[in-house]
Amino acid sequence: MFGEFNIPINIDKDSLNISIKKNDKGFDYIRELPNDKIEKLILTENAKILINPVEPLNTPKELTSLLLIEFNKSISIQPGIRKTIFITFPIEIGIFLSKKKDFELFDVFSLSKQKFTLYGDPGVGVVCKYWKSDVFLTLPDINPLYEGFIELKIYNPGTSWINVHKALFKAEGMKIFFDDQNVCMKAKMKVTDDDTAETEFIDSPYEKDMKKAVDIFNAKKLSVSTSKTIMLEGI
Amino acid sequence: MILNKVLFGNMTLSKLFFMLCLIIFWIIIAKVITLYLRKNFKKKLNKDHLEIIIKVVYYLIVVITIIWSLSLMGIKLSGLLVAGGFAGIVIGFASQSIIGNLVSGIFLMIERPMKIGNAVSIDGTTGIVEDIKIISTTIRTWDGFHIRIPNDKIFTTSITNYVSNVVRRFGYTVGIRYEDDADKAISIINQIIEDEPFALKNPAPLIFVDNLGDNSVNIAVKMWSPISEWYNLKNKMLWIIKKTLEENGIEIAFPQRVLWIGDQSIKEKILQN
Repeated sequence: MFGEFNIPINIDKDSLNISIKKNDKGFDYIRELPNDKIEKLILTENAKILINPVEPLNTPKELTSLLLIEFNKSISIQPGIRKTIFITFPIEIGIFLSKKKDFELFDVFSLSKQKFTLYGDPGVGVVCKYWKSDVFLTLPDINPLYEGFIELKIYNPGTSWINVHKALFKAEGMKIFFDDQNVCMKAKMKVTDDDTAETEFIDSPYEKDMKKAVDIFNAKKLSVSTSKTIMLEGI
Repeated sequence: MILNKVLFGNMTLSKLFFMLCLIIFWIIIAKVITLYLRKNFKKKLNKDHLEIIIKVVYYLIVVITIIWSLSLMGIKLSGLLVAGGFAGIVIGFASQSIIGNLVSGIFLMIERPMKIGNAVSIDGTTGIVEDIKIISTTIRTWDGFHIRIPNDKIFTTSITNYVSNVVRRFGYTVGIRYEDDADKAISIINQIIEDEPFALKNPAPLIFVDNLGDNSVNIAVKMWSPISEWYNLKNKMLWIIKKTLEENGIEIAFPQRVLWIGDQSIKEKILQN
């Protein structure tokens, strides 16, 4: 269901219904989820909408730019090796309205479970969006309306075994790609010692035919500082 | 020589010229110091407060320079000092509290136990910090009143800053009936907290039987929330817990007294009637 569409349009998929109907002056926009319904009026003669997966940090409220993914089982990594695993991440869906050659965010919502957590202790920690993921060694089977996958390359350059339980990512660096079947990102994690690591997204698709999603932080005209995230409060 | 021409007393034109040069030199030094202060404390201090501090430093240097140069020129300041000392005592007594507030204000700006916009409690006054001035601090209470508190009072009392950390904990005591299953109630409450996005996953919530009260089994419920959300969440969660427990057949206990009548036959007669 991701892509560019002409309006009016009606999309009914899983528990999501998006309806844009013509009225006298423009269009009525109705978006329905099981526990959420919003209605808006679009005053235009002619426009296009873009439906894209976006960074999972906008709903229910934009409190943080960090996403913490906790693994359902810990990963022990031998010193000096690189391994690739797959984990999932929650999807948020952005509805964009066309603006000349550009698109502007109009609505954002999520069908995934929403939860926040604290990374670190209450004195010095940071609030993060929380997601618990299985760890896969092959490409996971996902529903792209709910979740995407991250191909995560973990590197342990040290001299001792390291256990990793979670990964922290910064929204500014998220590079989401999608096709009809999948939503994905690529990232790498360099473990620097027992308790610290560095994560970073890679700006490349998992498969070359995948399209790049609109970067919502750029769409909101927010400045991007750095794409690297340093995990200092445990891994 | 024109430079040796006596103007008055021992004051010659050369001495006057030297005095003026000395004052100009120290004014330049004072300017350099104020530039240094402005550059280095621009981000650390509020702009208004920084300007006040800069002015105080600048005029202090100028006044000291003038007094110093007058004494170098042989102008006796003893009379001035006596008068000044007496005036200083009078002014000192009169402005004791103002100076106290001023000094406290400067220390508060350096220590920064609170910022504008923080929710705080100071000496029994709770509200949002509206402004921190050099002499006083203004608090807007939850009812919308503006309260001005002198800085020396703030400096010597305890300040509770509710928003200095990014998260905070709150809790309830939920009293259920003795015949209800406390394990089931704990499981239900746990699920409610798990389903609420703003109730943090970590630090984990605490739900346990806290005590066996006179009328109820009291379950303590404690959860953490982002600081911007805790108040709304606190107002919302208790009612959700109450409704969900009742939907699952668990009642919130109310005060009750069970009476046992000594003679059982009398009790049976009462029941039959």
